[in-house]
Amino acid sequence: PKPVLNPTLAGVLGSNIFHGEPPESVLIKESSNVRIITLNRPKQLNALNLEMVSRLLEVFHAYEEDPNVKLIIMKGEGRAFCAGGDVAAVVNDINKASWKLGANFFSKEFSLNYLMATYSKPQVSLLRGIVMGGGAGASIHGRFRVVTDNTVFAMPETALGLFPDVGASYYLSRLPGFFGEYVGLTGARLDGAEMLACGLATHFVPLEKLSLLEDTLCKANTSDPKIISNIIDKFSNKNPKLKEKSQYYRLKTIDRCFSRRTVEEIISALEKEADKNMDDWISWTIQSLKKASPTSLKISLRSFREGRLQGVGQCLIREYRMVCTVMQGEFSRDFFEGCRALLLDKDKNPKWKPSKLEFVSKDMVDRYFTALDDKDWEDLKLPARPKSNLPSYAISKL
Amino acid sequence: MDRVNFRAKVLTGHLKNHENLAVDLLQTAQCVNYSPPELSEPLPDFNTKSLRKLLDGESMDEIDYIFNLMIKSHLFCPRERGGKVFISPDFNKSMEHQREMTMRRIDYLREQGAFDGWLTRKGPDAERSGFARGITFGVYDHSLGIKLGVHFYLWGGAIQFMGTKRHHDKWLKPTEAYEIIGCFAMTELGHGSNVRGIETITRYDASTQEFIITTPCESAQKYWIGGAANHATHAVVFSQLKINGVNQGVHAFIAQIRDANGNVCPNVRIADCGHKIGLNGVDNGRIWFDNLRIPRENLLNSVADVSPDGQYLSAIKDPDQRFAAFLAPLLSGRVTIAAGSMNITKIGLAIAIRYSLSRRAFSIHPNEPEVLLLDYPSHQRRLLPLVAKTYALSFATEYLKNIYVNRTRESIKTVHVVSSALKATATWHGMRTLQECREACGGQGLKTENHVGHLKSEFDVQLTFEGDNYVLMQQISKALLKEISAAKRRNKPVKGLGLEHLNKPAPIIPSRLTSSTLRTAQFQTDIFCLRERDLLHRFETEVSQREAQGENMEHIFTVTYQIAEDLGRAFSDRLVLQKFLDVEATVPAGSLKNVLGLLRSMYTTIVMEEDASFLRYGYLSTDNAAVVRKEVLKLCSELRPHALALVTSFGIPDALLGPIAFNWIDANAWSSVKDSDTVFPVFTNML
Repeated sequence: PKPVLNPTLAGVLGSNIFHGEPPESVLIKESSNVRIITLNRPKQLNALNLEMVSRLLEVFHAYEEDPNVKLIIMKGEGRAFCAGGDVAAVVNDINKASWKLGANFFSKEFSLNYLMATYSKPQVSLLRGIVMGGGAGASIHGRFRVVTDNTVFAMPETALGLFPDVGASYYLSRLPGFFGEYVGLTGARLDGAEMLACGLATHFVPLEKLSLLEDTLCKANTSDPKIISNIIDKFSNKNPKLKEKSQYYRLKTIDRCFSRRTVEEIISALEKEADKNMDDWISWTIQSLKKASPTSLKISLRSFREGRLQGVGQCLIREYRMVCTVMQGEFSRDFFEGCRALLLDKDKNPKWKPSKLEFVSKDMVDRYFTALDDKDWEDLKLPARPKSNLPSYAISKL
Repeated sequence: MDRVNFRAKVLTGHLKNHENLAVDLLQTAQCVNYSPPELSEPLPDFNTKSLRKLLDGESMDEIDYIFNLMIKSHLFCPRERGGKVFISPDFNKSMEHQREMTMRRIDYLREQGAFDGWLTRKGPDAERSGFARGITFGVYDHSLGIKLGVHFYLWGGAIQFMGTKRHHDKWLKPTEAYEIIGCFAMTELGHGSNVRGIETITRYDASTQEFIITTPCESAQKYWIGGAANHATHAVVFSQLKINGVNQGVHAFIAQIRDANGNVCPNVRIADCGHKIGLNGVDNGRIWFDNLRIPRENLLNSVADVSPDGQYLSAIKDPDQRFAAFLAPLLSGRVTIAAGSMNITKIGLAIAIRYSLSRRAFSIHPNEPEVLLLDYPSHQRRLLPLVAKTYALSFATEYLKNIYVNRTRESIKTVHVVSSALKATATWHGMRTLQECREACGGQGLKTENHVGHLKSEFDVQLTFEGDNYVLMQQISKALLKEISAAKRRNKPVKGLGLEHLNKPAPIIPSRLTSSTLRTAQFQTDIFCLRERDLLHRFETEVSQREAQGENMEHIFTVTYQIAEDLGRAFSDRLVLQKFLDVEATVPAGSLKNVLGLLRSMYTTIVMEEDASFLRYGYLSTDNAAVVRKEVLKLCSELRPHALALVTSFGIPDALLGPIAFNWIDANAWSSVKDSDTVFPVFTNML
């Protein structure tokens, strides 16, 4: 049958209509039925701003309808895949105008996360370099996550007065044991081998083979996940070695401590472990929890625990309530303080308020999980999904 | 005409096939696709979390915490089916293996601190959280729930309620830490519900200040003792206490039955009860005592004691009252069973409803897609009333938990009667629901991994343990009779147990019922009260007539069982309705309140349709019974759009439902065959 070109797509994607403008932050290359999307703000480590998120959302919607698109490849220009959402810009917007501008950004970003998680076509993300926060949200939800020698993953939000969002309460809570709580609360960095071991990644491909993999996928020109998986397998290192001191070997201790009911109990369980057997890893873990925003830790833990029992859509709706409450800043302004200390003034010395875990009451935590009391605000509206023909991969996440 | 068209189409199809044979062979036949109900059903028009809050109340976080602990451990056998991970015990393993796994799971939970404070923390909140834990473990596996229940509620509860400070100080902490494992040796081969008839005898030896426990005959062997066959180190032994030749009735003693290495102690013999129809993860055993000597301090002495020189001392002179005080630990068991039954009905219904929202059968019109099971009115009639009943009974068991944890000396009688009523009603409802759900899932209901069918045998025991349901019904009626007789004697209005309506004139039921009357809380309350009032009156009359003829009371109660049972049900149903209305009153006007109203009407209407007493005693005329029957269908169709949201609000995590509740086509696909029996090893690609 003759391929039918979607007229709007042809218009938007066929030519670069922004001639003379600064380079586009999202580049798209067409190769027969494969679309290669490149995040292109290398100076900012490809941090996602509103323009990029809107563009991605638009493109993903269009490709789902477009019978000419079989496969989407996502990658980043430069030394990062994506270092996260452009939080500094969001804070700037909020300070200049209203937190609702921030809400608009997150609503688009979370919609994109949901679309990727329940996408009817395969997405292969090639994760070179840094994958953090929003960057994880733009890749982990997709079907294939290819990591490599220099991949660094982290959800560092609790150090910033935020919480792991972009659907992290869905994917982190599904990692083995209580590893997700550990990664999400401490902001621990994982390398490619660790990501593969815990399931955040589906394949490990050595750096030098990545471009060849990309070409082969383009040539294969297929949307069959089995064929795609086999192709990536051929380039893969099946058993990349975990480094000798990998935190993944500490899974037992992590389970014992991070399974506790409250953040306070987690810290005291870690301290007990430290009494028995102190080492760099334990002291780093305790330190990172003590440095993080107490409010962030508490809402994050609750978010993971709820997320484990929810579908990805419910997770994102809940996270949207949380992030809006954070930006509204009525109960805590830790997010602004964190951004100040780490991104703007860079004194690395945030003054959290409430300053201690025991000052963050259950009632305060509850407020992050209820609908906002604001007549203009409404819960996140997830994009509609096709009622049939969703792959089981997507169905199982609903 | 339709048939003609249909045949014509089929024939055209045949002819076409011949023309385009090559093309058609290449096209795959259209297959049945799994379509998730989340996408095809309307969005819930009420907040499912708010509804769940009404069910689980304060305990919601505790419950989810326990679910989390279980879902995250490989000891709970995670398996991947159709892209989702499910946890459930491996029932295809030997009895020994299942028992071993139960203990390993308990070990894991203890290590995570899941039992901290269960016995050593005091007060209503601590007790409420204890209930939440016990019941939630049972959602995964009844054996796990029971094994913990025996240790904490029965053994631990006996120490708490029947013991005094010296027992609390010595035993509670090691119990919580599982340094000792307790069991509860009450039932004997010859005596179950009739505890006062047990035959084990304990005497006192003043020269050594020891009690001597004896099993005098085979029918006195302790039977069904959970934990006794393999693991328990200590037992609370119920026995007749003979002091100086006088039988002082049933008392409880602590006896060590195994040493720290697991060897059975001297003068104790233990045997296994063997393989059972369910609950094989619990090691039920039999115990014989051959003049086992235990220290004098091991008598649980909250109501009676024996002095070192062998004098019997009790503050409670009346042996009946003494006996009632002894049975206090059984009360918490009943509360747990009633509440636990609601969880299993929730599992069954969530699975059956979700399946019926994705499985189709038969086309109503030729060449049209087959019809969703739940779109058949008959299927709605089978499942939706059970959903309504589950909500009604859950609200009532939540109330029971509250009056239990806030009990006082005055209210304990109410707790007794209400727990008897709800234990019986909830467990009967549970078994019936599971059977219906199993049938509603067709053949899939037979597969153990789909839970519904298998849960029946796992939960069957609820109907008889901690009191046979029929015996409980009669006990309620006796208690009610006692209550109104006492009020009459004192010439005072009846108070308590919700019986105050008896002080008012009898309600009048309209002679012609309409749909709208049937849905008013006033009418529903009126007819439920009328039924209770009339049956109580009939029961009272029959008992007093027989009494006047000189029959003895025991005999009278054995021959009046029919009316006593009807009355027991009438009391339970009226109580459940009242608690439903209490819950509804706390909800602000809006969509949630509307759906609650619908559920309440469904509950009352189905009770009227199903319980023969409404027609038998004429609370409903045959005409009105026909109106009731019609209303059931109407209510079904009105509840249908809420079906998915109603089972979602149960709050049972996906991982604890069966694969047929989700993508059952993928769960059964050829590609899943090779690893279908292996426990899911790694989580790669599961996100």
